[in-house]
Amino acid sequence: MEKEFLTNTHYSVTLNVTDGKIDSFREQEETTGTVRVYENGCIGVAGCLGSPDEKALTEKATEALSLGIPYPCMPDGALEQEIIHDEEIIPVAKLIPTMQDFLDRLNEACPRFAFSNKISLNYKRKEYHNSLGRHLTSSGRNVDIQLLAQNRGSGNLFDTGFSYNGNHFDADALLSEFKKEYDAFYAPADFTPGRYPVVMEASSLFGTFLQQFVAEMYVSGASLLSGRLGQKAFSDRLTLRNDMNPETNAGAYFFDDEGCVTSDFRPTLIDKGTLTGLLTTKKSADTFKLPNLGTAASTYDGVPCLGFNRFYVEPTAPTLMALVPGKAVYVVMASGGDTTPDGHFASPVQMSYLMENGKLIGRLPDLNISGNFYDLLGKDYIGATCDDPLPGSMLCAVTMDLTK
Amino acid sequence: MVKFQDDFYADVRIEDRSRTTISYKAGIPEEMKTRVERRAFLRVYDGKMWYYASVTDLAHLQKTLDGLYAAATPNAQILDDPIVRRFECNKDSVMCFTDCSVRDISSKDKQELLLSYLPLLSEDTCVTLPQGTYLDRNSVFHFQSSLGADIVYDYQTCGLSFSCSMTEGEKKFSGHWQKGATHFEELKGLEEEIRASITEQAAFMRNSVPVTPGKYPVVLSPEAAGVFAHESFGHKSESDFMLSDKSMRDEWQLGKTVGSPILSIAECGSLPGCGYVPYDDEGTRARKNYLIKNGTLAGRLHNAQTAAVLDEAPTGNARAIDCTFEPIVRMTTTYIEGGDMDFDQLIAPIQKGYFIKTIRHGSGMSTFTIAPHLAYEIVDGKLGRPVQISVLTGSVFETLGLIDGLTRDVHLLSFVTGGCGKMEQMNLPVGFGGPYVRVSSTNVQ
Repeated sequence: MEKEFLTNTHYSVTLNVTDGKIDSFREQEETTGTVRVYENGCIGVAGCLGSPDEKALTEKATEALSLGIPYPCMPDGALEQEIIHDEEIIPVAKLIPTMQDFLDRLNEACPRFAFSNKISLNYKRKEYHNSLGRHLTSSGRNVDIQLLAQNRGSGNLFDTGFSYNGNHFDADALLSEFKKEYDAFYAPADFTPGRYPVVMEASSLFGTFLQQFVAEMYVSGASLLSGRLGQKAFSDRLTLRNDMNPETNAGAYFFDDEGCVTSDFRPTLIDKGTLTGLLTTKKSADTFKLPNLGTAASTYDGVPCLGFNRFYVEPTAPTLMALVPGKAVYVVMASGGDTTPDGHFASPVQMSYLMENGKLIGRLPDLNISGNFYDLLGKDYIGATCDDPLPGSMLCAVTMDLTK
Repeated sequence: MVKFQDDFYADVRIEDRSRTTISYKAGIPEEMKTRVERRAFLRVYDGKMWYYASVTDLAHLQKTLDGLYAAATPNAQILDDPIVRRFECNKDSVMCFTDCSVRDISSKDKQELLLSYLPLLSEDTCVTLPQGTYLDRNSVFHFQSSLGADIVYDYQTCGLSFSCSMTEGEKKFSGHWQKGATHFEELKGLEEEIRASITEQAAFMRNSVPVTPGKYPVVLSPEAAGVFAHESFGHKSESDFMLSDKSMRDEWQLGKTVGSPILSIAECGSLPGCGYVPYDDEGTRARKNYLIKNGTLAGRLHNAQTAAVLDEAPTGNARAIDCTFEPIVRMTTTYIEGGDMDFDQLIAPIQKGYFIKTIRHGSGMSTFTIAPHLAYEIVDGKLGRPVQISVLTGSVFETLGLIDGLTRDVHLLSFVTGGCGKMEQMNLPVGFGGPYVRVSSTNVQ
């Protein structure tokens, strides 16, 4: 019988913002422990809230083998690896004054916006070890700023948003970028329906298609990607990966919940246009005879399930201006869209800007974007750039049909 | 339970939650577990700031509360604070599920119920990878406040969720069906309902045609209408969005015309189902609130803070997804009230339009979206071919004004997976529903 142990610790302090002022302080701390045992092709799982007693949990997990849940896989072999990013970003005791000062400056720079929502400081640590000698530890801190902005008097729940997630806090850089968007917000722009380069956060565009990469969907034939594994089906400019690398995804763990570690911590789905991987756990990879990408997640008391961190798109241009010289549409919010079973994608866009040579020119009215799944990842795919305009950002550009 | 201090407002909310998950994929067990957790959420208010903490070890309750008191500033006038004055001081016990708790049903019975339905998914040859899940939750809440509130109530949901992939040649479709209930017995005897749904979805996969994008009249099912009401207007009725921008209070004055004169949208936490909340997470008793009455703005949803700022009364809508978060203004069960037509009368005048029967998801800001799952043509007043539609979209207020027909019967729905997301708090169980609703023009893509 082989065993694996997982301990997760999460500590966060979250501030609530109402009209640019902090009005609450929330502290959360949670530790969970998990033990999984593997025997005769089955898995037994036990978990707890709080610091785990490994012996007691192992006994419970062993009892759970009697449930007969098939899991014909074993833990991976010996490997010692630790990536620790525990550098303090802001002391907790200084979080309120630091962030209120930042908000005061933001309120002054953007007086027609009413800001609300959350700012949080997080510390996360995950430790995995198993009976075959594997021992992995990953920890990190991140500051997460998620501000909603109401254009005063608009009557809307919110009109746009400013967000940042990273492992350092540079108030001046954030204020400078947020101010550029604020200025563009009040410069009306328009467009003639047609085809345009559309710039979006990679997670917004590819997140819509995430289900297509699920191994079960693929094998069942219901995925738009079915039958294309190993084939060059898309633009050779497109390399799409799951970003588990803490260097580019602040707060990410470099291994999955089954202790799998992949090359540069970014399991690859599409490599230069060729579909090379699908989202798998060890079990789904084994069942469907697919390579295991190493994207398992789990609840503290559950059998491993599928997880995903965020999309990493290999940059093809050093800056936004180099990516889309000339006119383009920069989409900030596009929610509610979907893809039909034959691959037609359409989505309303709630917030977008006209962009020229990488600079925001003015706010566009509500519009609709659409395209064909295969073309969006194929002939219509333009490329990607990272860390522009903000560190950690990952923007991609695709040619789409725009209508009013 | 805990000792409250003078010169502050404080409350403690404890949830004892049992949750069972049993799932099968392609006939093989994937998960079988029952998780029992006790968590607490504590709040201290000093008239200027709120201080929150969540705990998983209830032995640390008093110590954690004292830590929050230490961070706050004593305020001798706290009882005169307009927020504190709005807190109700209810003492009650509302235990509805003691004699029918899903905690008392064996895992074996739950597993057998799920297994009895799984073969139905595979009766059509196009189905691959059938998946089925049984889910239940029983919670006992205990709320106490420094004002003397002391409330105990229970909450229960259970349900079944099935999904599968359907493929035939180049045709693909993701099938799903689910039912939420509050009593285990309601989940028995569903064979024909499940079989009919799978058969309809297989026919949809085989026969559906792409829609020609454009503006058309549409008829929304109770499911689609309920999600539309929730997304398009329910979220706008959550008053916390009015806290930041004071001009919103002029913009959203009660009595303003916001929709068609036949339209009334109501909200109520005391209705049975997954949106059942007899007392909210600040101890306010549930009540029926009209958001829109005959086309005019009739009310909005509050917690104590938003009620104080807008000088209105709390409505029982302070909710958190669990005891790791603070309550914010959320919906419970939101529905459109019925009209005076039957379904045939509703579609009779439509020469070319669409009927949205089931949906995948919806959203609503200044524009709303509904992504249909099953949709059908309406041609010359009759239902026609199945059609593939990516998304329905339109201006919320324009669309509310274009509602020109409602059926008499109202159906309220509960689901056991998914839920409402707002900011950081996702998957809050909510109920929704309505009659069949006709909209004279909507953008269909």
